[in-house]
Amino acid sequence: MIPSTPPLTVAPSSELAEVVFDDEMEQAVKALLARYPTTQAALLPLLWLCQDRWGWISPGVMEAVAARLALAPAYVEGVVTFYTMYQRQPPGRYLLQVCTTLSCQLCGTGALVEHLKEKLGIDFGQTTTDGRFTLLDVQCLGACGEGPVIQINNDYYTRLDIQQLDQLLDRLE
Amino acid sequence: MEPILLRARGTPSSRTLASYLEAGGYQALGKALEMTPSDVIAEVRASGLRGRGGAGFPTGVKWGFVPKDNPRPKYLICNADESEPGTFKDRELIHVDPHMVIEGIAIASYAIGANTAYIYIRGEFATEARYLEEALSEAHRRKVLGSNILGSGFDLDIYVHRGAGAYICGEETALIESIEGKRGLPRLKPPFPAVVGLFGCPTVVNNVETLACVPHIIARGARWFADIGTEKSTGPKLFSVSGHVNKPGVYEVPLGTPFNTIIDDLCGGIPGGRALKAFIPGGSSAPVMTADKVTTPCDFESVAAAGSMLGSGGLIVMDETVDMVWALENLLTFYAHESCGQCTPCREGSDWALDVVRRIRRGRGRPSDIDTLLRIARFASQGMTICPLGDAFCEPLRSFVTNFRGEFEAAIDRAEPLSPTKTPILPVRSGRGLFGI
Amino acid sequence: MLKLTIDGNEVEVAEGTNLVEAAALAGVEIPTYCYHPGLTVVGQCRICFVEVEGMPRLVTACSTVAQDGMLVHTDSERVRDARAAVMEFLLANHPLDCPVCDQAGECYLQDYSVEHGLDSTHMVDVRRTFPGLERRMIGPHVVQNQNRCIHCTRCVRFTREVSETNDLTMKSRGNHSYIDTFDGGPYDNPWSACAADVCPVGALTVKEFRFRARVWHLDETDSVCPGCSIGCNIEIGHLNEVVHRFVPRANPHVNGWWMCDYGRFLAEGLNERDLDRPQARGSAPSEEPSWAQAIDRLASFIQASPPPRVVASANLSNEALFLVRQVLRDHAGLQVVVPVERGEERKMKNGRNEWVSNVDAHPNSTGARLLGFDMVDGAGLERFATADDAPLLILDNRAHPWLVSEAAATALSGRRLVVLGRVATRLTEVAELVLPTASWIEADGTYTSSTGRVQLARRGFAPRAQARPTWEILDRLAVALGLHDERATSPREVFTALAEHVPAFGGMDYYRLATDPGLAVMGEVPHVG
Repeated sequence: MIPSTPPLTVAPSSELAEVVFDDEMEQAVKALLARYPTTQAALLPLLWLCQDRWGWISPGVMEAVAARLALAPAYVEGVVTFYTMYQRQPPGRYLLQVCTTLSCQLCGTGALVEHLKEKLGIDFGQTTTDGRFTLLDVQCLGACGEGPVIQINNDYYTRLDIQQLDQLLDRLE
Repeated sequence: MEPILLRARGTPSSRTLASYLEAGGYQALGKALEMTPSDVIAEVRASGLRGRGGAGFPTGVKWGFVPKDNPRPKYLICNADESEPGTFKDRELIHVDPHMVIEGIAIASYAIGANTAYIYIRGEFATEARYLEEALSEAHRRKVLGSNILGSGFDLDIYVHRGAGAYICGEETALIESIEGKRGLPRLKPPFPAVVGLFGCPTVVNNVETLACVPHIIARGARWFADIGTEKSTGPKLFSVSGHVNKPGVYEVPLGTPFNTIIDDLCGGIPGGRALKAFIPGGSSAPVMTADKVTTPCDFESVAAAGSMLGSGGLIVMDETVDMVWALENLLTFYAHESCGQCTPCREGSDWALDVVRRIRRGRGRPSDIDTLLRIARFASQGMTICPLGDAFCEPLRSFVTNFRGEFEAAIDRAEPLSPTKTPILPVRSGRGLFGI
Repeated sequence: MLKLTIDGNEVEVAEGTNLVEAAALAGVEIPTYCYHPGLTVVGQCRICFVEVEGMPRLVTACSTVAQDGMLVHTDSERVRDARAAVMEFLLANHPLDCPVCDQAGECYLQDYSVEHGLDSTHMVDVRRTFPGLERRMIGPHVVQNQNRCIHCTRCVRFTREVSETNDLTMKSRGNHSYIDTFDGGPYDNPWSACAADVCPVGALTVKEFRFRARVWHLDETDSVCPGCSIGCNIEIGHLNEVVHRFVPRANPHVNGWWMCDYGRFLAEGLNERDLDRPQARGSAPSEEPSWAQAIDRLASFIQASPPPRVVASANLSNEALFLVRQVLRDHAGLQVVVPVERGEERKMKNGRNEWVSNVDAHPNSTGARLLGFDMVDGAGLERFATADDAPLLILDNRAHPWLVSEAAATALSGRRLVVLGRVATRLTEVAELVLPTASWIEADGTYTSSTGRVQLARRGFAPRAQARPTWEILDRLAVALGLHDERATSPREVFTALAEHVPAFGGMDYYRLATDPGLAVMGEVPHVG
């Protein structure tokens, strides 16, 4: 029985144009700040907090983060764009991150990729029109012994063949 | 060899504190807290433990670099960024026995005088980060972490800090920059992290597996540890075996075991009985080795003598069906994607080499391309760059082209000759045509 | 101090000097891109490699501190090979834009490529480009062409460390990293064009200078910015008597390596000239006075009854102001004021990265104060000018905004006026005598900054048409009034006299002003910024 993955909560652009942290966020921020001697060090964890809550990092999110940590917005954007996991556009409910590095390729990722592109009708970097899936090619996911590996949102799915992949995707709403 | 690091594999609920205590866990911490920090360092030095993240630097020596008279707080960082292609042993350790890692972090922190430790874990390991948070929670409740651990007067807080998708943050100074909330750009060295590291304070960065060895060294002694493996490469080592083997996975062997023992005996050989063509012993940054070298013992010295690197022990096995030009293109794609972009040779060289190999594969290779690739490999490594990522792409580049030169030459020979009028003079990709600029 | 040997030459340097600076002291130029003396060291372009005996690998000179007894080689075969390789990497994706790039002629990539690079490349692939960032107005004054960028990050460090506006950042990573602002917004701060100065290539260029002139055609004149009291050192680029640009000139005491956009873009204003010959109102063109006649008229005006009041200017040079004091105030006994407009607050970083503020909008209010003039603000000027119906001698028709206003034109209508200036204003239309004055670049002049330095602004070309420098007009007047026997031959003579008579300028040697980064005034400087 292949387990399932909960969908991402993705806030629409209009909601993330101007961002204000509510009390719950503020509590979480304070807890983060207590772990480091500088406020700047809370940047990556705070960005994760925002992405977990809203699904992606909009300019409004960056401005709110920058203001909260007393950093320049341009600086924050420089950091956000350096790391590939922070989404800059609203993603689909399921981020299909396919490892395309050597060991997985030796286990047959190529066939899975062809199948995915055909089945979903999209290429890498695109989202299906119904907002369900975003297909991404990513670098080595660190589970090479169980290849081919696909990470869906936070979960690793390993040793997939086309059948299992189809069954899995069909269960993701 | 009895399983040491992976002893809990197969045990139900092996991640729980109860299970770890039952196996004798945290006794080493108790023992270490009764020693002086200097004695702990001496014990680890005597064990001959060498860094398991790839560099193979003697761990006890690294700990000894932390200046004792420096008034600033010290930090220990556990490097769980594991992003080197072919390497997945740290993930296994965290899945099977996170408390072993935590105990190692605690002993190491005590040895260098750190009261705060961070586990920098790659962003993709969301599940593993959760396992660590759960284990840390348990450890705090049981008072093997926090203030006055086991009544020793030693305080330690360990925090999990998630990365966000950057292989370069596995390099210790880039990792430190990333924790500090910056782009993960490696720093110039000197100064070294042991003197000026996280937040400008003395810092030691150790790999997950390195730290996992520490409780065993303290519990059973440096002599016991040094008796495993070879004289200069002591202790057990986890090998992540992937690619064309029947039973890929993480295997724990004494250092010095020949590679064919791992591939054939432990991993069940190559599927379909096909022949071995090449293998990469230590993660993709290690030079590729030809099949005739498969009897090389897997220790730092022997692998270096055979022309490669033990590295992280990420063993990628390739059989006779693999197109080496294709494999090199795949690896160069990885490095070009991961280059931080700071310094000229790596930023330009990684992309350039990828363009050349891609072009060769697509039937547009030129006879001069091989020399170009070797020139790039020469000038983006050996100190030309700020950090070893330059060497990390130059070593595969050089070794693939050199060891499998015939395949590259054949691909170039197959290329259609370019007519002079088709040679690009002013390549324009802005999409508006040559005179639309 | 310590001693080290560079290419066989021993040189003594202070502790903490890096090898790039040490080599410069030894007369050796090590190529650099990311290194800038006014910014932090990042050691990332990798062009400045040198060989140090005893170190197994080449080291970057910018990030290596000189040690006593070091033996450094900047030109060994290893170093030359490494440099040529780095040049090749830099040029691999750099577009062949020289024919259309403003940086040509002052481009480090061109210069070091010729000196240190190979004469061809092994790169035959398609270059990476940044569609949309190839001719983009990244801000009101700066044009970006990201294809040309060599990722030295000088511009980013400038906005973080010097202007402290944090508006530029590097985004993405690897070979796809690019310079941008937050969310693509405008790069707009008071010193924005300095990013184009520090950019070693044509990735960031100044819009106002775009395609105007090739730099090797320009004559370059050392000068000082006329925009405010700080006195940033500049270089004026001009060709055929047209001023094309101001660029900053390094002065550690005053402006570091920088200047602000306001001052920089005063350059175009120097090309304006409405008043080109002495004019007497009411006379036909064929009866327009010659200079000799104009000076005579001026002398009569001075000696008339009631005597005129004089409005001098804080934009005049020390020489001109000294003659105002000597001839008009002391000899002719006239009342003189110097109007001062506080104007906008402006800041600059000096060579120690410390902020320095201006005190007002004039390049020489400090000179005027040290010469003992009565300084007045706008209200005081208005009271002075309208106290009664006495004639007015206005030595600079734009000495203060009040003079250019409608209110002044109304208040002074019907009065006897003699006005000096370059650009027409209401008052020059109604004055009985108008004398054309040289622009900032058409006369040598020394100016005293509120940062306490006397600095020389050189003449770049002769005044156009019949314009004359103000000091020369006053000097001719002095002869006409019998105060001097003969005319001074140069402003230097006037300055020498000034240095003898005014304690704050005691002992200053005019020739040293040409070589030193300004001379410090003696004693307290009033209102230092």
